[in-house]
Amino acid sequence: MSFYPETPLLSVAELTAHIKALIESDEVLADVAVRGEISNYKLHTSGHAYFTLKDEHAALSCVMWRLNVAALDFQPEDGMQVIAYGRVGVYERQGRYQLYVEDMKPAGLGELYLAFERLKKKLETEGLFDPARKRPLPRFPRAIGVITSSTGAGLRDILTIISRRFPPAQLYVIPALVQGADAPPSLIAAIKLAEKFAKLDVLIIGRGGGSMEDLWCFNDEQLARTIAACPIPTISAVGHETDFTIADFVADVRAPTPSAAAEMVVPDRAELLQRLRAYGERLATALEGRARQAEAALQGLLARRCLTHPEERLDRELQTLDELCERALRAVLHGNELRARRLASASAQLLALGPQQVLNRGYSIVRRAEDGAIVRSIKDIEPGARADILVSDGELESQITAVKERRR
Amino acid sequence: MSEHEELSFEQALKRLEEVVQRLESGETSLEESLRLFEEGMALKKLCTEKLERARAAIKKLVESQGGTIEEQEFDVSDLSAQE
Repeated sequence: MSFYPETPLLSVAELTAHIKALIESDEVLADVAVRGEISNYKLHTSGHAYFTLKDEHAALSCVMWRLNVAALDFQPEDGMQVIAYGRVGVYERQGRYQLYVEDMKPAGLGELYLAFERLKKKLETEGLFDPARKRPLPRFPRAIGVITSSTGAGLRDILTIISRRFPPAQLYVIPALVQGADAPPSLIAAIKLAEKFAKLDVLIIGRGGGSMEDLWCFNDEQLARTIAACPIPTISAVGHETDFTIADFVADVRAPTPSAAAEMVVPDRAELLQRLRAYGERLATALEGRARQAEAALQGLLARRCLTHPEERLDRELQTLDELCERALRAVLHGNELRARRLASASAQLLALGPQQVLNRGYSIVRRAEDGAIVRSIKDIEPGARADILVSDGELESQITAVKERRR
Repeated sequence: MSEHEELSFEQALKRLEEVVQRLESGETSLEESLRLFEEGMALKKLCTEKLERARAAIKKLVESQGGTIEEQEFDVSDLSAQE
């Protein structure tokens, strides 16, 4: 029974559930970054951490689950200024709203990180990281631009690796500052210079490893926009594998390190030389196959219609042809292309000479009608058998009336 | 062969790939096959030579006062000396 009939009567659980639903459906509360000082930090034996974030005016209960605590790269302590990221939820049992902290940074670093995330989100929303914008790198770059400090070990690694892997490439170093407040305008000027030079077909922008602050210039918004707008395909190569900068997101390709950029920008010479050798072998094999095929076709032709009256000159020609084919193959195998070409054209001429020429000169070929076998001798056929006689312009069907041996 | 001298490495390699494929198709005459073989070997030689050249040329690009771009010699050994 309610004292106030107009007012709905709820259980504590019902009211709390309502509040929880309200809070947890709020978009802002679902993903917040809160700055404050840690107090009452307690790491429970379960591994979960419980603490309060406070400033002069308010306090906020916080929970951080074991896995998130384990992922922290610093040790939280009371009195420490931090930025905590997470969502606000309600713990019904104690009727308490609290921040479920997913990640936390010491405030100084945290602010840099926050600026980074803000810029990243902004550029991402503009579509600057869109995979569709990314251009493929040229397979065999002719002119490679390298924008970096002209004194760093990173540059030496890049130059050494590229000139070792792919000597046909021409390398252009464009010196720039890669650290400090003057670095972004210097890097931007270097990119503009590369664009103006107009010969480069790929551009590496980067520097060797350093602290987060050292690498910070690669998170500059104007630099990011210049990289995104650069007509030359770009590779970012900043710091170590674990360092990510805005430049990495806008570049066409991110290389984990400057050395890795050098390795991905050019193909490997050893691999290419091997491929070239393989091509050479395939050429020789294919040509040999082609020559053998021609030879086989010729042999087949000769075997089928081989001439019944071996005549001295023809014999000589056939022998020559055999020799030529042999020599053509040998020439090919030894890469003696000129000789092979001469021999092949001689072969072609002989091929043209062929049986038809012989038939034209008045010789004919006799074949048994029953099986088409060529009659070379009186022993090959008997009187009464049917025979086909091949002459220059057709065939004569005939019957053998008599067989006589030629007198010697 | 002189027709190939102006080719870039990439163009020469691409042409070589075409030549190999065409020759392997077995559809060419003996005469054409020999011509392709010759061309292919010349391209292979060209590519190999380009790859075996001792080292890539390295230059430094600098913008002068007047806004023109200068290509300056760049010596990698200087780089090591500076460290």
